[in-house]
Amino acid sequence: MKRELGMGAALAVICLALFISNGDFLGQSNAVNTLRQISMLGIYAIGTGFVIVTGGIDLSVGSVVGLTGVIIARVSSQATGGGGHSLLLGIVVALCVALLIGLAQGLLITRLNLQPFIVTLAGMLFIRGISQTVVQGGTLSLGTSPLLGLANGGLFMHGGDPLVPWPLLIFLGVIAGGGYVLHATVFGRYLYAIGGNREAAAYSGIPVKRIETTTYVISAGLAGVAGVCYAAYIGQMSQQVGVAYELYAIAAVVLGGCSLRGGEGTVLGIVIGSAMMKVIDNGINMFQVRYQDADGVPRLWRLDANWTFIIVGSVILIAVVLDQVVHVVQAKRRLRPVEAPAAPTPSLPAV
Amino acid sequence: MSGIGKRFAGVTALRDVSLTARAGEVLALMGENGAGKSTLMKILGGVQPPDTGEIRIDGQLVTLDGVRAAKRLGISLIHQELMLAPNLDIAANIFLGSEGVSALAPLPRAAMNEKAAALLARVGLSVSPTTLVGALTVGQMQMVEIARALSTNARILIMDEPTASLSANESERLFEVIRKLRTDGVCILYISHRMEEVQMLADRVTVLRDGRWAGDLLRADATSDKIVALMVGRELSGAYFPSKEGRTAGAVILEAKDLLVPGAPAGVSFSARCGEILGFAGLVGAGRTELMTTVFGVTPARAGTMLLDGKPFAPRSPRDAIARGVYLAPEDRKHHGLVLQMSITENTTLPSLRSFSRWGRLDRAAERRVAEAEVKRMATRTPSVFQKVVTLSGGNQQKVVLGKWLAMSPRVLILDEPTRGIDVGARAEIYRHVAALAKEGIAVVVVSSDMEEVIGLCDRVLVMRERRLAGALGPGEITQARIGSLMTGAARAVAA
Repeated sequence: MKRELGMGAALAVICLALFISNGDFLGQSNAVNTLRQISMLGIYAIGTGFVIVTGGIDLSVGSVVGLTGVIIARVSSQATGGGGHSLLLGIVVALCVALLIGLAQGLLITRLNLQPFIVTLAGMLFIRGISQTVVQGGTLSLGTSPLLGLANGGLFMHGGDPLVPWPLLIFLGVIAGGGYVLHATVFGRYLYAIGGNREAAAYSGIPVKRIETTTYVISAGLAGVAGVCYAAYIGQMSQQVGVAYELYAIAAVVLGGCSLRGGEGTVLGIVIGSAMMKVIDNGINMFQVRYQDADGVPRLWRLDANWTFIIVGSVILIAVVLDQVVHVVQAKRRLRPVEAPAAPTPSLPAV
Repeated sequence: MSGIGKRFAGVTALRDVSLTARAGEVLALMGENGAGKSTLMKILGGVQPPDTGEIRIDGQLVTLDGVRAAKRLGISLIHQELMLAPNLDIAANIFLGSEGVSALAPLPRAAMNEKAAALLARVGLSVSPTTLVGALTVGQMQMVEIARALSTNARILIMDEPTASLSANESERLFEVIRKLRTDGVCILYISHRMEEVQMLADRVTVLRDGRWAGDLLRADATSDKIVALMVGRELSGAYFPSKEGRTAGAVILEAKDLLVPGAPAGVSFSARCGEILGFAGLVGAGRTELMTTVFGVTPARAGTMLLDGKPFAPRSPRDAIARGVYLAPEDRKHHGLVLQMSITENTTLPSLRSFSRWGRLDRAAERRVAEAEVKRMATRTPSVFQKVVTLSGGNQQKVVLGKWLAMSPRVLILDEPTRGIDVGARAEIYRHVAALAKEGIAVVVVSSDMEEVIGLCDRVLVMRERRLAGALGPGEITQARIGSLMTGAARAVAA
């Protein structure tokens, strides 16, 4: 929990600094838009988190996000290139495809003992290629599909815009569901056990392979749900939708305190990590400093948007370095009362 | 070497051991598991520094400050597990770390290959130096290790159980090389458990026991009987073993017939009875752990059958075994037994977690109650049940492992090296618990390399040797001499 507290405090400080620098940061339009962005990232980041808690990795989520929208447009759009079927059918087909992708990757990883990195890297390219062939290098428009309302609409309309956009509601649902499953159920505990020590988990009778496979299904499924939101938000589905999103998800998960070694992390942490990513993203646009130039004319200094990746990269590095420092300090403290674990077993060495 | 002493974390591994070896001599080092042979050799190889004592080479007092320092003095240690990179070729392995050029200079391949070829000829290995090490047999790899040792002009060659994984033919080749090196004036220190080869090869035998020097025997005197007597000759200090009185073996609960463990040469048959403690003795690598992981379903049997309660029992995974009440407390606690960064509670309830689910939700209060009950029963020393097990001592960790199985009423409980790395006090407690479990009618199977433990604790002992069952000892037959000769194969040598 300490990690979540620290990140939460850092997030609050950043938000406060942004608000002081530019009051519009918490203005309705920017705040709601940022929440929508956080929500769409958070939905699939939580899915990625399930995989990472077991010590796996899923690089295919960005491609699944893209493919979901492409399938919906292909099946349901009334515009050119669309199948003109009902929206519901499009969404159902897209989500089923996402789940099947997760199942296929999970089975490949667990049944054939393949490395998750390689399998999902291949999956990322393969699925991206499918999107590409479906849109044939161009774009598929959702036209005036009612789906567009999913991104723009929501609860508590105020001045034409919702205060609570639908993606935020979906995100809250995923947080509640994900938090419950990860922290309150047998399944969730198994994930931590597998991530902490796969062998010991198997020796305790946990169906390790089945559980791991399920995490890839969850990851792909939530990527599908996020994909529906992105499709609604973007409207025009091209092969570029969702490129590199898996990396944002992994960054959010790691910022939120999950270890890529597995066995650590909370849903709350992932939520904070997702918020951190998108607040920084937004903050680069919002941050400004008022000053007067030599002639006494008031001017605004803004961050160069080209610095986005440098700043995001730095934040991730700083977070993991701080985390490592904390770990090392804790480990040192822990070593004192106990026999050094690195030493060979003393009394009965294997001779 | 004289007066060598070494302590690990408060346990004395070696006490005042002295040893002399001459150029052109093969000195065999023998002793039970844990007698201190490997530790002594590691000190000589510069892997670990001694706490006391001194080492002289050619009469000169030396300090062996690291493996490199030892190599400079002509001492080379060949570990039991070969230290070769299978993805590199022979020449690259031989000169790994001593390429003789700076790190950025091109590798002097031609010179390396030439020198490697000469060394390979010396150890009688007729393969090209550019062969990948991964493509070699274990015996050939051993030769590469020796060639590597010779490449640093080793005058003292230490071999830790070099034949442990070799076939008879490969061993024979190795012996030829050793004899050749001996005539070259190399001093060879040879750790082995195999009576026959020691008698065949060694000029002298030094026996260690409990970290002390137990005796030296010249080749002519080194009979199996004398060696075994020196190895196991200590008096039993059995005070901390619970009495075997009052335990009565009940019906057979687990029966294995010709159970073929993957990698084993032959099937193994045995049976475990309710209420008895069945011991499995043998040397490390005798195949006991492999047999137990097969019974537990980790590596399913290749052939043979098992019966549990008279019904077929063929676990394909630990899950299957656990479902039938067969549990294993594994040899390697940290890797197989516990999730170290989880708490005592989470580890205790891990195998039985489903029973703590109320409408899908974990009942943490119930988990805590069970964990607290097990901590109390096992007298685990911990501030709370929420303590991460990584912070506990070895003995307390083992109690957590036992607790997690006891929380779900075992029928057959397999304990693989239950007291390895555990101090005397915690051992006594664990023995008490094991005896109590047997009294409750549980069939307890104890795999142990500690002879004292096997003798003091078990009602019946099966001895394994080279992945086969070497013999069975019933009550009254369990003596150090009998176990010792069965596990080293001395009985066979004597008979022959």
